[in-house]
Amino acid sequence: MTHQTHAYHMVNPSPWPLTGALSAFLLTSGMIMWFHFHSTLLLFMGVTSILLTMFQWWRDVVREGTYQGHHTPVVQKGLRYGMVLFIMSEVFFFVGFFWAFYHSSLSPALELGGCWPPVGINPLNPLEVPLLNTAILLASGVSITWAHHSLMEGNRNQMIQALATTIGLGLYFTILQAMEYYEAPFTISDGIYGSTFFVATGFHGLHVIIGSLFLIVCLLRQLFYHFTSTHHFGFEAAAWYWHFVDVVWLFLYVSIYWWGS
Amino acid sequence: MAPSLRTYRLREVGVRDNMYYKFSGFTQKLAGSWASAAYSPQGLKPVASSEAPPIIFATPTKFASEADTYDYAGKNKVPELQKFFQKADGIPVHLKQGLPDQMLYRTTMALTLGGTIYCLIALYMASQPKNK
Repeated sequence: MTHQTHAYHMVNPSPWPLTGALSAFLLTSGMIMWFHFHSTLLLFMGVTSILLTMFQWWRDVVREGTYQGHHTPVVQKGLRYGMVLFIMSEVFFFVGFFWAFYHSSLSPALELGGCWPPVGINPLNPLEVPLLNTAILLASGVSITWAHHSLMEGNRNQMIQALATTIGLGLYFTILQAMEYYEAPFTISDGIYGSTFFVATGFHGLHVIIGSLFLIVCLLRQLFYHFTSTHHFGFEAAAWYWHFVDVVWLFLYVSIYWWGS
Repeated sequence: MAPSLRTYRLREVGVRDNMYYKFSGFTQKLAGSWASAAYSPQGLKPVASSEAPPIIFATPTKFASEADTYDYAGKNKVPELQKFFQKADGIPVHLKQGLPDQMLYRTTMALTLGGTIYCLIALYMASQPKNK
């Protein structure tokens, strides 16, 4: 019976990187089959297998950390670096879309009427629902910080309530944004304005949904006593991601909704 | 006097007497800091104890038996799960729970491997020229 004599985590052999890679292949090929041949079977298989992979991979991370104790301080440091690098890669993802927006809006083409917003586009009023959405996300940033401090102070009930509040605000944002999408007087095919607007805000909305799901998982883990007052990196990672989503919205609001209207 | 015994004196410009450190919550390492941070690491907020707070799984004053409206999700099963998942049976973590893990693993593998084969066939067929 051998025990490790170091503080690092030598992971058990796992099938999830393989299934994840194959799922990505199925997903992308499925998109091709859907776009060109109107067949959704492959796409469905890809989505299902990627969801199964994600569920099992992250379930295993919880087992390794919370149940098996592999997440020593040095391992946790690696996880922190990993999350930071991931969020930085997401920042650059959004930088591309902001680049596209500013490229098109700072020197509007003649075909658009030489102005921004282009001729014929009625932009959404930034002081209506978009401003409410800004307030919602800022408030959710406050409530998640409240949840974190409650967790660190060992206050279980307050932590649960604050985290639930954060999730509720995130869902409220999503619902409002979906309604805005439905009611908007312009569509994604309305020239470069529509493209930049819906691609940038659309990917942001997707990230809000991902962040909300991450927070829901944290809520469930908190209910099941996984977090302690000193060790709760999963929650911290979710909080970092949530703050990132909030900051991206602030940039979107100022650039596209406000300056761009 | 031999030149090697010449002494030098540093001009004391901005030299601190002591080195102070703070613990960076972000990198989980010690980092240099000013004396003010070292003497009051929590800033101006007073009352919080500088002792590490005891690790608490749940609010300690409530017993599971006197469950009221705030008793979320029952009792703490983590210690039992820790014992269960640390059993030295050589089973990898993704199969450790037994049958449910096996079913999920086999479903995922079947879907991905089967899907990949189907995908390769479909791509091969799609790449064939259509005969008008």
